[in-house]
Amino acid sequence: MKFSLNWLREFTEVPADAALTMKLITTRTAECEGLETYGEAAASVATVISSEPVPGTKLNLAQVETERYGRKTVVCGAPNCRAGLRTAYLPIGRKTIQGIESDGMLAGSDELGINRDHIGIVELSGPLPPTDHILEIDNKSLTHRPDLWGHYGLAREVAAITGSPLVDPVDLTLLPHGPPAFEVEGHAELCPRFSALVYENVTVTPSPLWLQFRLTALGLNPINNLVDLTNYVAAELAQPMHAYDRALLHGNKLTARLAKEGEQVTALNKEVYSLTPTNLVIADKAGPVGVAGVIGGLKSAISEGTTTVVFEAANFHASSVRKTSSALKIRTDASMRFEKSQDPANTVRALARTVALMKELCPEARLVGGLIDWQVQSVEPEPVSLDGKWLNRKIGRDVPPEQVISILTSLGFQVSGIYPTLSVIVPSWRATKDVSGPDDLVEEVGRMIGYETIPPVPPAVLSTVPPDSPQRLYLRRVRHTAASQGFTEVYNYSFLSEQQATHLGFPPADLVRVLNPIAQNQNLMRSSLLPGIYANIVENRKHLASFRLFEIGREIHKRPKPALPDALPEEIQHLVLAIYGEEGALLELKRVAQCLAKGVQLRPAIGRQFEHPRRTADVLCGGMVVGRLFELHPTYLEGTNRAAVLDLDLSKLAEHEFLPSRYPAPQKYPSSAFDLSVIVRPQELVGDLTRRMQVLAGPLLEQIAYVRQYAKSDTKSVTFRFTLSSPERTLSSDEVTQVRTTIIDGMRGLGYDLTV
Amino acid sequence: MLENEFAGLQAGTLLQIEAALTPADLEAIRVEVLGRKGTLAAVSKDMGKIAADERGRIGKLLNETKNALETALTARQTHFADAALAERLDSEWLDLTLPAPGIQPGNLHPLTRLQQEIEDLFRSLGFTVLDGFEVEDEYHNFDALNIPADHPARDMQDTFWLEGGKLLRTHTSPVQVRGMETLPLPLRMIAPGRVFRNESVDASHEHTFYQLEGMMIDRNVSVGNLIYFMKTLLGEVFGREVTVRLRPGFFPFVEPGFELDIQCLICGGPGCAVCKQSGWVELLPCGLINPKVLQLSGIDSNQWGGFAFGLGLTRLVMMRYAIGDIRLLMSGDLRFLAPSQAVHA
Repeated sequence: MKFSLNWLREFTEVPADAALTMKLITTRTAECEGLETYGEAAASVATVISSEPVPGTKLNLAQVETERYGRKTVVCGAPNCRAGLRTAYLPIGRKTIQGIESDGMLAGSDELGINRDHIGIVELSGPLPPTDHILEIDNKSLTHRPDLWGHYGLAREVAAITGSPLVDPVDLTLLPHGPPAFEVEGHAELCPRFSALVYENVTVTPSPLWLQFRLTALGLNPINNLVDLTNYVAAELAQPMHAYDRALLHGNKLTARLAKEGEQVTALNKEVYSLTPTNLVIADKAGPVGVAGVIGGLKSAISEGTTTVVFEAANFHASSVRKTSSALKIRTDASMRFEKSQDPANTVRALARTVALMKELCPEARLVGGLIDWQVQSVEPEPVSLDGKWLNRKIGRDVPPEQVISILTSLGFQVSGIYPTLSVIVPSWRATKDVSGPDDLVEEVGRMIGYETIPPVPPAVLSTVPPDSPQRLYLRRVRHTAASQGFTEVYNYSFLSEQQATHLGFPPADLVRVLNPIAQNQNLMRSSLLPGIYANIVENRKHLASFRLFEIGREIHKRPKPALPDALPEEIQHLVLAIYGEEGALLELKRVAQCLAKGVQLRPAIGRQFEHPRRTADVLCGGMVVGRLFELHPTYLEGTNRAAVLDLDLSKLAEHEFLPSRYPAPQKYPSSAFDLSVIVRPQELVGDLTRRMQVLAGPLLEQIAYVRQYAKSDTKSVTFRFTLSSPERTLSSDEVTQVRTTIIDGMRGLGYDLTV
Repeated sequence: MLENEFAGLQAGTLLQIEAALTPADLEAIRVEVLGRKGTLAAVSKDMGKIAADERGRIGKLLNETKNALETALTARQTHFADAALAERLDSEWLDLTLPAPGIQPGNLHPLTRLQQEIEDLFRSLGFTVLDGFEVEDEYHNFDALNIPADHPARDMQDTFWLEGGKLLRTHTSPVQVRGMETLPLPLRMIAPGRVFRNESVDASHEHTFYQLEGMMIDRNVSVGNLIYFMKTLLGEVFGREVTVRLRPGFFPFVEPGFELDIQCLICGGPGCAVCKQSGWVELLPCGLINPKVLQLSGIDSNQWGGFAFGLGLTRLVMMRYAIGDIRLLMSGDLRFLAPSQAVHA
């Protein structure tokens, strides 16, 4: 939203230092995003003394008498350059145009910022519009302030900040009395107030240059005196208006009503909109003449031939306007204002202002009948009780009573009672949604005393460090272990494409779906981190020869049916690590798994489509499957390198305690060791052999360790070292031999061949 | 044997020791002179034949000669040992500027690093760290925060909607709602996490980013307390005193609501490109918790009050580590996340 400082100055004193004004508004009211000067400071009024055509060109050579720079000779191509014309001169230096020297130039109204016309040079009857400062305020910071969508509202803030008086431009006594010559009807919920005035004998002309300059400076496009008037009032008072050509309306009444299914309206932007019964329209006897609060209709628009006009100033329900505007995809200055919950009391103020402006913009026009005003009886808001001591506690410093009262009063609140027990009546323009309780008044006082005047104070209560959650500690440990083992942490999106899911064999129908995805290829929620990690591998291998990476993130799973209807999807925290490199990556990743979760075991598993069928295992912890270790199926990866992947369910792992729970004393008596080699088929699992021999070895076994294996033609030999000991005595060689024999016999009994 | 014979033997042997080139030469000399069958052994064997009055003198000479030669031998042996050690040490020269073999440590994600730091800071100030859901319901994401049904934040363009009226949380505030519903009062908590907004991605906008929101609820909590905590937080994060300012900001779940700016750390106030010439950088929204929000979570707003703040972790990370493009954070590109570790193909 743009504001003209000169405009604000019509209502209150504004500091001459525009940058200071900007800072004050930012820290007390709303965020100023920019400040620019507007208009041509160097321009001078000039009278054309003579204008002679230059032969062979369309140019004139003109002598002009300027108010600021004396007499000048300029070349001018404008068709309206003629002796006696009062126009504007810009000192832009000497230039040669088609061989003729021009000292400066005569300016068109577009070049002066008055409007966008570029036919000819400006024709002045009065002075040049003074240059201005245009302040831009962030719309988001005005969301809750309907009153700040007009200059007068911001002027009230400036007056409260600087302590200057505020002059109201509205004179309600100008409103005509007597029986109305036209009818309007609002809508109980969606249009609580509908006011109008009718004028006859109007002449549609361009607006005066000062008004065009004002509108253009705010980024609006001047059109004609009637339309400009409505825009001017909206920019001043925040009340959007509309002007209808009375002659083009059917019947004698405008009604705010919900559209009928299939009704259409051609709007001022010449687009045709199909309406539904959720859209509020303004209709005459023949049908809709505009979308209420959003855009007017083309049929009844003001044109050069208009002689009778109906000015509408109505109040529309904020969310109804917002929904219609977003459904029809039109945002207008009107809809933006109505979305902020405008003040119903403002409609007649806007019309009173209209009467004053019509006297200047269209002096020959005559009011027809009295004010037309339909409204739902509004409930007076309850006064808000404010305790001055409570206010001080909330703010964190004492605010003098007279300052509290003067701040609230200057913002339009009516304060009564004896401090500290105050009663505050909220003004209508703040009551629509912004201010309703004492906490809202803390903000009013707080921002006006300036938050910088509040000292930082530690709270006067004891604090203790709360116990930490084991899950959080575990996550930290996991992250640091992974990083120290060479893995770099990545963050991937929670979204997947159907192609990504299908490629790894996750049926898209099983995944939670986003109804309004950012792009069609990001419409599924990940039920596994693997597609993201797979993409990381594929992308990084384009640049890097080997790498390690990991991610901790949530899997999102649909609840199996029947689940409670409002149950949220299941979120499971997972850790995925990947090593990309040469052969050996998989066992290296197993080592890392043991660093992360001591004592985990692997059990060979059937590979999914992206898993190497001979290199895939479930990861077990305490007998429970907690994850998966696999090498990526070679068809999923170009080149000869390998990608090993470990996927762990952290919700399961976090329940385990991996640090040792006891530290036993070392064995007192020496232990004895011997080796045995088992001859087995190549795919016999070392883990299975270990477990079997562990059982056979009995209670004297201290440790069984894998030593090595080597392949023979169609078998392999696996060597183990057995360490025996007893806590009570040194074992005799007989005892050791006996254990050894038991193992050998036992294994042979199971059909294994041993070299002894 | 006469003194001059001893002297001659001693001198001759010392010369031999001096001339020895290897430890083996030395050993041969030792065997020849000092060995069991060596020259001196033979002399001591013949001691019996020497006149008794001469024996003491000759014996003393013998010992002196033996000691002198042993000392010389030891010295020479030490010399050889020292030389051998020196040679070995020389040969074992190692270039310690070579990169160490094996795996270099990886990096934690910058978001993780900052999040952990801030968690630790708030824990030391008595705040509990809470975790929540990424998928939420409308009540916890909107209603309970005083964001009514017709608020623009609920529009399709801001929120990712899932089936069954569920949505991806647009802020971590729902975690606070769940905290208010379950934790005993007074309470202090922070909720870091991933949030989602349906907006197009460019160098400074992401649909997926990280927030860290927090709140404190107690008997008497003032704007002054809020400023104190925020100044402490930002001083720690940036490692130096920061100047902050509060200005009005509108958020439905706080009243009064603020935007907290910090004085630009690049220019220190006069204005530069980073702060868009304003001297201030907008950092976090905060405010006193709206009593309606407390009431919605079943808290008596006459007895209790508090403050809440929302820190854009992603934004802070970009400032802290001078990251120019927000998209890099979610890129998984190891050339960005671990540049020193990357082994290029």
